Amino acid sequence: MAENAHHSQDMWVFPRAPEVTEFVTQKTFTRPGPVTLALALTGALLVLGIIGFVMKAVQYGFSDHTPWGYYAATFSFVFMVTSTGPLAAAAFRITKSHWRRPLSRVSEIFGIVGIFNILLFIPLAFVLPTLNNPDVGHHELALRRSIWFEGPIGSPLWWDLFGVMFVGVNALALLWLSAVPDMAEAYEKATGFRRSLYRILAGFWTGTKRQWLIHKAGLALLGAWYFMLLLFVHFIISSDYGQSMIPGWKDAIFPVVYSLSGFQSALGLILIIMFILRRFGGYQEYIGISPFWSASKLLLAFSLLWCYHMFSFGITYWYGRTELEQNVLKYLLFGSYGGVFAGNFFFSFVAPFLTLLWNPVRKTDWGPALAGAFALIGAFLFNIRVFVGSFNAGNVYGEFLNEVPPPVFPGLSDILIVIGGIGGAAFIYLLATRIIPIISLWEVKEGLLYQKMETFIRGRYLVLAKPE
Amino acid sequence: MQEGRVLPARQINRDLLGSILYSPRWFWFAVAVLGLIVLAGFAAAGVMINLGMGVTGLNRPVMWGFFIVNFVFWIGISHAGVMLSAILRLSKAEWRRPATRAAEVLTVFSLMTAMLMPLIHTGRPWRLVYWIYTIPFIPYDFARGIWPNIRSPLVWDPSAVYTYLTSSILFVLVALIPDLAVLRDRTTGLPHRIYTVLAMGWQGNPRQWKLQIIAGVLLSALILPVFVSVHSIVSWDFGMAVAVKPWHSTIFAPYFVVGAVHSGVSAVAFVMIILRWIYGWQDYIRHEHIDALGRLLIVVATGWFYFFVMEVIFGFYGREADEIAFRDFQINSPPWNVWFIIFVGVTYFLPVTMWLASSWRRNLWLMSIACILVNIGMWLERFLIIIPALAEKQLFTFTWYTYAPSAVEITIVGATFALVSMLMLLFARVLPLIPLYDVKEGDILKTEIQIGRRTVPATFRED
Repeated sequence: MAENAHHSQDMWVFPRAPEVTEFVTQKTFTRPGPVTLALALTGALLVLGIIGFVMKAVQYGFSDHTPWGYYAATFSFVFMVTSTGPLAAAAFRITKSHWRRPLSRVSEIFGIVGIFNILLFIPLAFVLPTLNNPDVGHHELALRRSIWFEGPIGSPLWWDLFGVMFVGVNALALLWLSAVPDMAEAYEKATGFRRSLYRILAGFWTGTKRQWLIHKAGLALLGAWYFMLLLFVHFIISSDYGQSMIPGWKDAIFPVVYSLSGFQSALGLILIIMFILRRFGGYQEYIGISPFWSASKLLLAFSLLWCYHMFSFGITYWYGRTELEQNVLKYLLFGSYGGVFAGNFFFSFVAPFLTLLWNPVRKTDWGPALAGAFALIGAFLFNIRVFVGSFNAGNVYGEFLNEVPPPVFPGLSDILIVIGGIGGAAFIYLLATRIIPIISLWEVKEGLLYQKMETFIRGRYLVLAKPE
Repeated sequence: MQEGRVLPARQINRDLLGSILYSPRWFWFAVAVLGLIVLAGFAAAGVMINLGMGVTGLNRPVMWGFFIVNFVFWIGISHAGVMLSAILRLSKAEWRRPATRAAEVLTVFSLMTAMLMPLIHTGRPWRLVYWIYTIPFIPYDFARGIWPNIRSPLVWDPSAVYTYLTSSILFVLVALIPDLAVLRDRTTGLPHRIYTVLAMGWQGNPRQWKLQIIAGVLLSALILPVFVSVHSIVSWDFGMAVAVKPWHSTIFAPYFVVGAVHSGVSAVAFVMIILRWIYGWQDYIRHEHIDALGRLLIVVATGWFYFFVMEVIFGFYGREADEIAFRDFQINSPPWNVWFIIFVGVTYFLPVTMWLASSWRRNLWLMSIACILVNIGMWLERFLIIIPALAEKQLFTFTWYTYAPSAVEITIVGATFALVSMLMLLFARVLPLIPLYDVKEGDILKTEIQIGRRTVPATFRED
């Protein structure tokens, strides 16, 4: 344990290597009461969501997109957070950050929620208006503005669907590749379904040097590829289901803000899960304060970047003074959805910034987790503001946003859809943690080789090895 | 990542102060050549001021030409200092140590050079006094009814740039103090007296070290918003101009900032390779440092490319006739299309392909070429943003025009490169371009960890 005066005792943790597998697999294979309760609760929410979806479909059908704004916002929120989740493991692994080790698997397990994202997306594929205007009227465009311009084959529908599917499949591949050594190790201790699953997924793994080299290279390549793919899919989803639905809204920075919200909220959720695992899951010996401290600096940076990019959008539109720009600002920022934007701004920037500004708060487990919760609420409001706004902005084939539409409030089915969508994602994540160890065994053991406490002059300090 | 050996402090002093205490033979020759080029630049500016702006290629509607392109370029280069020094210091990247000082100094000199450009561009630089009309005894030109528009980005610009310049100078000075004390103790006569004043009584006691470290960290954190604001405001010089459609883009600010970091870090990598070569600092600027810069550049370049793609796609997105006409002009019409292809190739595809291979990143010749290519590309980027957009600014095609720089403009722009190089050389003559104390601290923190049969390099971490 650290003995420097300026650090808490549990800043860095050094679990005993021989006990890591035993402890973590045992945790994975058992289902304690709180987990069962959480599974039942989230499962019930999922059922409520399905009821809400059926109500909406029966009442409105899929021919008109406007009633589906809250559904689109829910999909976007769940997709934004859970598709970005695996990126944390991939990115910090590429940058060789030692503090990442306890959070790698927490982030990678979001890959399984990718399946839920694909299912959630399918109804949206039916409601998206075509690019070609079926009935061109006065002051209407024959081909509405979109990132697909003249509309190549299958656009935008199939490209979006393939995009969401590719992200899901890649996230699963990333999870599988990362978990192979752990599943092979846990195989000996598993029984029944888990044992069969581990044999199928990791039966080939014997841990030879060649396998390890391929494993490491594969993780790096897949991680880099996933990063680029994710940015692309964020771009097409945010543009097709957000920007292009508001006539005349042309904003190059919007896909960037969307991805930034994703980075911020995903990291926030990972910190919340880490906090729960550390405080209530019995993982104190595996999750020290250092991952919270390091990740909190990034969360602070993302909060600042979010504000900077929003400011860049706002000031350019404000300064432009054209009628369209003023109407977009009034609609999404200061008028119709002004209240939601105020909340969005507070939770995405003000609250996390004021929380994480203080180093003593960053050096706790609760501080970064609290800021993460703020960021999640902010991202949720961001999606409500943009996607409910976009789906209800009037004629999508119009040349410009000539007037400012009123806000749309949720009905009962919308509320059920929102809680069901979020509950469903949580349900699937919880189920996955019962099958795949939530702490990456091989990474934690590797980390134990690379770090130790040593005396330097008169104090005890952390020594970090940098093998490459 | 630790490839160098731990050197005794005495040798570090001798090696890194060599350029100051003993001038190499080529030094004055190089300064003289660069000085002549700078003089030619000043002479060209004199001719322009004497004869008027007619000697430049500027015309209606292309009122902004080489000078403004060069202004944006040098502002961009200045972003290297904070990126390498402040951000890497805050993130505790060990490999930053030999690169910080050169990056900070390059920031200061490129900012100074950048600010010369709008001054020359006015054609009547003495009218600067009207920008700062509150100076006593210098009356503002009320009679002409011209008022500074406080809402104009052209007013925000000097505020941001001078704030950045002040902060950067402070940043350099704070980091220099321990090294100035070393110089004070090794010189005599007038230099000794100057270094004594500049070292501000530094004795190296624990309290002084503590204050110096705190000041460095605080300045690193405080300079970050200034760093972002400078190029953002420069980008808003363009972005707020509704009349020039292609410029009125929400993404311009981050796009400019990332581009600036790209060109700035490439410039620092090139400067470091040059320093290693001319001063023989192989023990300090090692292949591992250039390799790390190369890896950082892959990330920065890819970030820049993402913003570039967004900017182009959303340029077409609106399907507005005047914007499509501009893009067509920029991408399809000669000679702009040739410049455009060269710009994209040398800014991203060629250098990033080179940086992907570790052996290429560690090849100093190839790294130098890649870094020069990036800066050629980034200069072209600014050129292609400014000139074609202005050339087709007006609605009617008969008002469209083109632009060709005159010899006066080319001479002045060329002289700015000589000026920055000369200032860097002169700085190296009087102050160390590699921070002595930072290198020594890095050596002290180095250690090793035994893993199985291998000994792995490691570092003590203070946090």
